[in-house]
Amino acid sequence: MSTIETFIEKFNEAVDFQEPVDVSADTRLETLPEWDSLAALGVIVMCDMEYKKTITGNDLANCQTITDIYKLVA
Amino acid sequence: MAQSVLRNIRYRGLTTCVPERAFSNVQDCPPEQRSERERLVRNIGIETRRVCLEGVVFSDLALVAAEKLIAGLGWEKSSIDALIVVTQSPDYPIPATAIILQDKLGLSHGTVAFDINLGCSGYAYGLFTLGSMLSAHGLKRGIMLVGDKSSNPLSLDNGLLSLFGDAATATALEFDETAEPMYFAMGSDGSGHKAIIIEAGGQRVPIQPHHLERLPGADGISRKGTDVILDGPSILNFSIREVPVSVAQLVEFSPFSLDDIDYFVFHQANRMINETIRKKLGLPAEKVPMSLKDFGNTSSASIPVTINTRLKETLAQGRQRLLLSGFGVGLSWASCILDIENAYLPDLIEI
Repeated sequence: MSTIETFIEKFNEAVDFQEPVDVSADTRLETLPEWDSLAALGVIVMCDMEYKKTITGNDLANCQTITDIYKLVA
Repeated sequence: MAQSVLRNIRYRGLTTCVPERAFSNVQDCPPEQRSERERLVRNIGIETRRVCLEGVVFSDLALVAAEKLIAGLGWEKSSIDALIVVTQSPDYPIPATAIILQDKLGLSHGTVAFDINLGCSGYAYGLFTLGSMLSAHGLKRGIMLVGDKSSNPLSLDNGLLSLFGDAATATALEFDETAEPMYFAMGSDGSGHKAIIIEAGGQRVPIQPHHLERLPGADGISRKGTDVILDGPSILNFSIREVPVSVAQLVEFSPFSLDDIDYFVFHQANRMINETIRKKLGLPAEKVPMSLKDFGNTSSASIPVTINTRLKETLAQGRQRLLLSGFGVGLSWASCILDIENAYLPDLIEI
């Protein structure tokens, strides 16, 4: 069962925040302190392994919120 | 995908030479960056890297590795028919580094010597090229020197700085009709040539004065035109798409199953990429040795560095069947299944 809630859990794990961050579906990626190239790689691996979807760097660059990424795999 | 079987080639020995100087990705940074670096190390899996001193180049390490290999095998220098260098850090744009090393090593003028310009995929390509030459009859003994000096301590690119280590390796192959066959699978995809590139310095983009200045790129990182640019997401997507498929196809092509293979030695790219490939193939971690933690990404040397530092004791106990798989710059990939038995495999050399 794929929901945005489980996606957010997997997203948090993939980004590997140094300090816990409150992330919701509408959180804007640019406001996350760790939204960097390393986080992007983690999210690409997560989408591939958990959702069997290939997400490119360009796909991610076009996403503004967590929901935007979720729409790519849902 | 090109597939091939190579017969009558014996893997005789391997030596590895790395700089003594080690940089720590966690310790060697200002305290305020510590937490960020720890996160980086957790994800790329690289704690320390070996970095050449100023003025030391790849072929300096390669020369030491080669001398040790030749002496350890007890080979007469006049008996060596071929010397192949696989590197992207040549001494000069021309001539080929292998020819310079023919002279420095004191090999005969009858030596076949040339370079192969490949990085992360280069080890299996080198085995295939040298092995093919020897199996064609006539030449008997060959050496290949594989590795790079990829470190660039003055770079401002944090991702790159923490990734690359320097290493050179020397491998000996010999024509031997009692050797088990080696199996190869290889491929190329030049549509991804910009994923790992040095843009300036070849004939397409001759060096101009501004290439020697650090200018901010689209990603905000300042680089020279002569620095390496890595497109992380493209490399990641390529690696986790292509490598598991090509390894599975090679196993299918060979007479073996995944269970018949004792160890899987992958190019050491970064922990995220390597773990994803391992999980996709369903391989247990104990069958997939890693050298990333201590040596970083050592380009084409990463497979032999891993064999030398992680499998030396196991290989001393008897025959092992290895699957080697390299992938990266090009884009290019190559995998090989081979048996190693009674090979000369001394301790790591540090200079």
